[in-house]
Parts: sequence; structure tokens; C-alpha cells
Amino acid sequence: MTTTAPAATPLPSPRFRISRYRRLAWWGSGLACALSVVGLVLCWLNPAIGAPLRPGLDFTGGTQIQLERRCDGVCGRLDASQVQRRIAALRLPEQAGEAPPNLAGTAVQVLDQGRSLVLRLPDLKPEQAAAVIRAVEAEAGALNPTATSVNTIGPTLGDQLLKGSLISLLVSFAAIAAYITFRYDRVFAALALVCLGHDVLITCGVFAWLGLIAGIEVDSLFAVSLITVAGYSVTDTVVVFDRIREQKTALSGLPVSEQVDVAVDATLTRSLYTSLTTLLPLVGLIFFGGSTLYWFAVALAIGIAVGSWSSIGVAPTLLPLFSRR
Amino acid sequence: MARQLWAVPVIAFLAIASVAALVLLPLQLGLDLRGGSQLTLQVMPAGSIKTVGKEQLEAVKDVLDRRINGLGVAESTLQTVGDDQLVLQLPGEQDPSRAAKVLGTTALLEFRAQKPGTEQEMTGLLKLKRQVQAVLNQSRAKAAATASGEPAAPQVEIEAEDLARSLQQLGVEVPPGSSERDQLELLLGAVNTKIVALYEPATLTGRDLTGAGRQQQQTGKAWDVTLSFNSEGGRKFAELTQGIAGTRRLLGIVLDGRSISEASVGPEFKPAGITGGGASITGNFSAEEARDLEVQLRGGSLPLPVKLIEVRTVGPSLGAENIRSSLLAALSGLALVAVFMVVVYRLPGLVSVLALSLYALFNLAIYSLIPVTLSLPGIAGFILSIGMAVDANVLIFERVKEELRAGNTLIRSIDTGFSLAFSSILDGHVTGLISCVALFALGTGLVKGFAVTLAIGLLLSLFTALTCTRTLLRLLMSYAALRRPTYFLPAAQLPASAS
Repeated sequence: MTTTAPAATPLPSPRFRISRYRRLAWWGSGLACALSVVGLVLCWLNPAIGAPLRPGLDFTGGTQIQLERRCDGVCGRLDASQVQRRIAALRLPEQAGEAPPNLAGTAVQVLDQGRSLVLRLPDLKPEQAAAVIRAVEAEAGALNPTATSVNTIGPTLGDQLLKGSLISLLVSFAAIAAYITFRYDRVFAALALVCLGHDVLITCGVFAWLGLIAGIEVDSLFAVSLITVAGYSVTDTVVVFDRIREQKTALSGLPVSEQVDVAVDATLTRSLYTSLTTLLPLVGLIFFGGSTLYWFAVALAIGIAVGSWSSIGVAPTLLPLFSRR
Repeated sequence: MARQLWAVPVIAFLAIASVAALVLLPLQLGLDLRGGSQLTLQVMPAGSIKTVGKEQLEAVKDVLDRRINGLGVAESTLQTVGDDQLVLQLPGEQDPSRAAKVLGTTALLEFRAQKPGTEQEMTGLLKLKRQVQAVLNQSRAKAAATASGEPAAPQVEIEAEDLARSLQQLGVEVPPGSSERDQLELLLGAVNTKIVALYEPATLTGRDLTGAGRQQQQTGKAWDVTLSFNSEGGRKFAELTQGIAGTRRLLGIVLDGRSISEASVGPEFKPAGITGGGASITGNFSAEEARDLEVQLRGGSLPLPVKLIEVRTVGPSLGAENIRSSLLAALSGLALVAVFMVVVYRLPGLVSVLALSLYALFNLAIYSLIPVTLSLPGIAGFILSIGMAVDANVLIFERVKEELRAGNTLIRSIDTGFSLAFSSILDGHVTGLISCVALFALGTGLVKGFAVTLAIGLLLSLFTALTCTRTLLRLLMSYAALRRPTYFLPAAQLPASAS
């Protein structure tokens, strides 16, 4: 490469031929997709979840209260079941014309060596939430009022959020598909969409398994991450396709699979580097961004990593199959 | 070569303007960053109105605006969202109970005369009501006393048999296993509904009020709410009271369908009714209840009922923690990207880091100008857009390297690199923007924050990655000392003829 004379560039010989590894790539992607589908189905069949992904507060509705105990140095032990019993026995302030919610099913999580608490309750009025916090205070000792967070999502809003998320997912996929079809030919567009589906499916699959194993829930930010991954996945795939299109006339003598090899080889570093530069800020977000954005950043990072893989290993290797007519 | 240098003063000017904007207009922080409460209210269709439209929403907002003013919360904002929602932000507020109560009820006040021939039934109901209320008050006081460790006051009892009989008479279904207190509450509710049914339809409502106030009763601790009517209301009130004066029928004051007070009108008002355009409600209010009702009545009743569908409360120290962590995340992300770019791309890498800093600066300036209220997801959108902004530079520089390897001259390679990379950069940005539009159009609050910052980032990065990087690179290339291909890629990768 270093000694090639500039004037006479014959047909380039790529150092890395993706077509040699295409079976491996397909097997890898196929396996990942299959595992994802299994995870989603298992989630759905799980009576405790009953949906392909474990829905979070945003979609189920309810109240989540996050509390921090005020204790110097080491916090005393705190038994979650004790707090749970205390809350279950609580009489909530009545609301005109509405039955007070049943608190027996309250989920209590004690985190950070007993320093903080997360409660998951049915949909509460602010007054009722305040009563619950006082009950916890009676059990767990003084709380830090400035570090309290209370989120209540009514059941109607939960439905709205779920519907809105699904619609915006579908609309954005359709719009991206339309744009790609307009910019490239149909085969390219179809493959870019296959890649997009692949990336979104695997990201969902990972979260289905996380939901099954670690109880991780998906919220509306997860839907946001999927839409962002979809946009990014197409961007990544397009870089390779753009190159194939550009060199089409120069390399018209070569079979499609070799044209693809040349394009992938030429754009390989670029694809890896662009993913890397997008992943680096996300790494910052994962390590320092705090708990609210943690799983959001993880979902984005998984999606972008998978997207980078599919733009190298899946879309280009599938191209020869479809253009051989 | 000099033709692109016109952009240098433009970029310098924009940078200075951005700094000025940031100094003059501080960034607006969302409640998840500064602490506070956010309440989302949904306006529900009722009566003849089947769907809530812009007009109804504005009418509800007017009333709520007046009530919020009455509450006296500093810096609160009330905004309409979509066709049927209102979002109230209360910065610094950590217990939105009161706001939720005052805003969430319709506060439809009605003055209704009792139907003739129902006197006996009414007397029985009122007796029962007083009894139940006394027992309930007692048990509440007792609960409060045990909580604060005081000895309990002597008891007023209601016999279990009496309770069961009254419940049965009123046709109340008691869920199995409910406590005595639950049963009493149910009974009180049923009694109140029954009382309301004994009234004629309302002729006078809160619409005819010009003002409301409160005063403490001379005996006891309870408060009264005082009302003043407009001339029309005064006339109606006089007619209403004249009609029942001297009879055993009562004047009922009904709030949101609950009977809150029943008053008799003495025979001395038979000639002209109660005139003077004022009245007071003796409803046994606590100071706080009286104050809240006063605020609601002054603001007027809601034309449509509202429902509280979302409440988010974040403590201020949690907000400060969020700011700290997201700032750290953004800076560490920027630093990681900067190191990567300089190591991999050398001189142009350095230029792209400079362009990236400009990018961050412009972004923040736009946030303060529009203004964009920064929330956690918004910051995430900004951080992610940093990565995507560098993407464009990576595409360009890789292309430049390729041209250099192929033996082109430096300046030519740079120009070709920029023009050839443009098409994929544009595609990437357009697909990204499509996602943002979909998110913005259909998403809710949190999602919108992310979509807005990401979209601003994408639009800006088209400018900084293309114009800023290119201009800066050209500026540097005007110095002969910097025009060395080895500043772009390792000498080993250069073709022999170029080095």
C-alpha cells in the first residue's frame, strides 16, 4: 500500500474482505436476533410481566417515591418488609368521591446500604403521597427532604405515553424508510431497513433479558433511545452504501460481492471511529450521568454498537444476494 | 484559497455574540435540575361538550391562572399542552398537595332552595349528619392526639346497630371488612347526596360572585367564608331567600355536588328577602379550608372538570446532584472525544476539537436565546449530539487521509475530502432530524426536551463541522509551516512522491 504509485491505481485489493466472513456474520446476527425474540417471548409469557418488555412507571401508571435517609456516617439497618407493612397499614387521607388506593402491594427497595429507599405504589394524590412519606419517616427515622422525589403518573397518561411512544416509533421508522427510498434505490432502502430492524430488535432483546433477570424496566426514555438508534443505524449503513454507489462506475467490472468488499474495507475505520466517537460521550453519561439517565445511556450504547456491527457485517454482505437478478 | 476566509470574522463574531448571550440571558433549568413540582392536569369533557378544544382549554386556563395567583406561589408557570392538558410548574415547591387540591376541584358553588314538602325528611337527615360528623371529628382528633402522645378526649359514640340501620335505610352498600370509620365516611357521603336531592335546581351560582373572603367565628375556632354578589346575584339571592323566609324550608349551599351548609331564613326577611348583596357560608371550615375555598371562589368555577394525571416532585438537592452529574458526564464525554480526535487525526483533530468547543458554545447560546428549558433528557440529547457532531469530522478527515494516501496534494485532499464526505453527512443528519421531528410531534414533556436539544445539535453540527472546521483548517493552511502532510497522517502511510 505504501509503495503504490499514485498515477496507476489498478483495481484496489482490499486488505479486509468482509465477504469471506459473511457466513460467520450471518450466524452471529441470526443467533442474536433469535435470542432477542426468545427473550421477548419469555417476557410476554411471564405472568408477572405480561408484555414483551417489563413496562415501567411511565406506562403502567402509579406513584414512585424516592427517599434519602438522613444519617451521619453509617445508616442503621432498614428492613424493607417492615417499611412495607407500615405502609400497608396506613390510612390515607380520603378524597371526595374516590376510594383510597390499596397499599398492600407496595414494593419497597432499600438501596445504597440502607441510605435510600424507592417505593412503588398505586396512583396517589399529592396529599396521600405526603402521608406515605410521613409513615416511612416514622419507620426509618429522619429523611432528607431536599433529596425526595415523587413521580405520579395517572393511568390515563400511562396509556397515552405508551400509545404515543409506539406511534412515534412507527412514524419515525416509516419516515426514515421513505427518505432512504427517495435517496437510494429500493434494494439499498430495504437493506437499510433490515439493519434498522436488526438493531432495534437486539436492543429490545437485551432489555427483555435484563427485565427477566434483573427486573430492569423500560420507560418513555427507552422509546426515545430506540428512535435515536433507528436514526443512527440508518446513518451508519448509509455511509457504506454511499461508498458502493460512488465507486459503481469505477469498479463496474467487478462482481458485486467484491465491490462490497472494497467499499467496506475503505469505510471500515470510518464506521468504527464514528461509532466510537458517539460511544465515548455515552460512556461519560453511563459512568457519571446519574441514575435517571443510566439505562437510557446503556440502551443507546447497545443500539449504537449493534448498529455499527450491522452496517459492516449485515447490510453489505446481504447486498450481493439481492442485486444478483 | 482566500475565498473561504470571509467566514473567519463571521465565526469570531458568532462566538462573541454567543458568550454575550450566555452572560446576559442565563440558561433556564427544568424542575428536574433545580427542584420543584410539576403538575399536569387533563381537562375532561362533561355535559354537552364531548371533546375538549382550544377554546375550552383557554377558559379553564384563565380560571386556574386566577387561582394560582390567589395561592401566591412565586415564579409559577401554567402552560397549555396539546388540546386538553395544562402543565403547572412550581419551582422550589416540594409538597404540591395544596396546589393539587385548589386546582383540581371544579369549585362550582350553588345556592339552592329546599323543595316544598321535604321538611321532615330533611330534619332527620340533618340530625344524622351532625351525629356522624361529631363522631368522625372525634376519631380524627383522637388519632391526632395519639400521634402526639396526648390523652384522648371523652368519646361520643354511635351505636353499631344504629349505624348499620342508617346505612341500610340509605341503601349504602358496605364493602365487607370495612372499619367503623370507613362506614361512617360512607354514611356521611350518602347523607350529603340525599340532602342535595331535596333541593330545587340552582338559580344562583358562583358565577354571580364578585368577591370572597373569610372570617373567624366569634365563638370557637371554625372559619366562615364570606361572599359578595354582583347586582344580578344580589337580586337572585334576595328572591331566593324571600321564597323560603319564614317557612321551615332551608337554603342549601352546594359545592361540587356536596352539601356544605344548610341555613334557615327567618320570617323577618319575608317582605324583601336578604338584600345587601352579601352572604356568608358557615361550613365549619378550618382556617386552611376557608382560605382554599376563598381562592377557588375568587378564581371562579372551572367550566369543565380537570383531572390530575401527572405529578413530578424533585427535591432541590437531588436537582443539584443531577446538574453536577450531567455536567460531569458532558465534560468527560467532550474530553474523551477530544483526546480521541487529537490522537487519531493530529492537526485536523485539534482543529475539530476547537470546532467542537465552538459547537458546544453555540449550542448553549441557542438554548438561552430560544429559550430551551434544560432538563435531564435534554442534556442527554446535547451529549449525544456531541458524538454525532464529531462523526461528520471523522467522515471528512478519513476522506482527506485517503486522498493523501493516493498521493494528492494537501490542499487538494482537504477540498476533496470535504466535498466527497458531504453526501453521507447530509443523509446522516436528515435521518437524525426525521427521528427528532417524530419524537417532538408525538412525545410528551421529557421526550420533547431530548428531541429539541438533539435537533438543535444536529442542525448546528452541519454548520460547525462543515463551515467552522473547514475555515479553521484553511486558515491554518495559510501558514507554510503547518502545510505538512505528516501533520495529517503518519509518514509511513504517505506515498513516496508526496513526502
